[in-house]
Amino acid sequence: MNIDHHEIFQRMIDESLAGAISAESERSLREHLSTCAPCNEYLIASNRVIAGLSGFSFEVNPTLNARVLAALRLQADQIRQIRAHHPETVRQHKVQFKNWVAFAVALSMSFVGSALVYQMAERVAVPMHFDTAQVQAGVLVFWLLPSLCSALCLLAAPGEKRGFA
Amino acid sequence: MESDTQRIALGLRQGDVVVLEALVVQYQHRLVRYLVSLLGRRDGIDDIVQETWLRVLERGGSYDARSRFEPWLFRVARNIALDAMRKRPMLSLDSNEEGGAHSSPACGAPSPYMLAARTQDAERLARSLQTLEPVHREALVLRFQEDLSLQEISVIVGAPVSTVASRIYRGLATLRPQFDGETA
Repeated sequence: MNIDHHEIFQRMIDESLAGAISAESERSLREHLSTCAPCNEYLIASNRVIAGLSGFSFEVNPTLNARVLAALRLQADQIRQIRAHHPETVRQHKVQFKNWVAFAVALSMSFVGSALVYQMAERVAVPMHFDTAQVQAGVLVFWLLPSLCSALCLLAAPGEKRGFA
Repeated sequence: MESDTQRIALGLRQGDVVVLEALVVQYQHRLVRYLVSLLGRRDGIDDIVQETWLRVLERGGSYDARSRFEPWLFRVARNIALDAMRKRPMLSLDSNEEGGAHSSPACGAPSPYMLAARTQDAERLARSLQTLEPVHREALVLRFQEDLSLQEISVIVGAPVSTVASRIYRGLATLRPQFDGETA
């Protein structure tokens, strides 16, 4: 068996140990290992590396757990106090989000509604002998702009007044 | 029936200190071991461990119960360790792959691996582990000590699965000569 062939199987041993080998390759590797001494030595050396890695024991500093737990309790208390004294902070965030959603919906409806009315104005103006351009300009001024203003007011208004909070 | 990860996720979302205390007791040893493998030293580890748990309390709501807790914990710890390393630019994880300096204990200080070796095989690996590139050492420890999958390691280190696998192969290749030619 040539060297390249061993290299292929040794690569497969690495893949097998790393958990990156297919079931088919694993079967092929097992068959090869049953007859190949060099690849078996390679596997044994690899397994000893892995076993060696488990031979280290890093002691945890005996005071570390107590220190960490004390810090956690302190921080948890601080978080609870902040929430207890400033419940409106959390609520304001929710209201702010709802304001933005309402604004986005109002804005979309303004544009869609204005586009429809704009199209209708063109059809209505001709049979009624109005100037199409003037009717469309009127739509823009008296429909679209008030709609946009309403949407902006919605964004600026506090949520409580609209019953969001 | 509520699974362990669901119980942990619920506790973290609620900032439940009792759940956190149980997690500290259960995972502290593994967290320290991972951070030593990442940084290659013991000094400063305790501060990073404490910072990690405080971050877990602060951002526990982002833990997803569909995955195991350990990878999420290690990723939090890794981010904090990297931040600490940025403040000490002499140390770097990825710089080694571009020819940078290896992370190592202070000059003259004993290697944490020498001090922690409890078996003959571990003693033989200690010196090589200290000089192994940190990203390779990290991948080996996560795979073979923490028993994480390549996908989980990939999430922790923020690298593709193929890169993680490659780091494991290279790490094994560096350490294997310690035992070449021996059958027992």
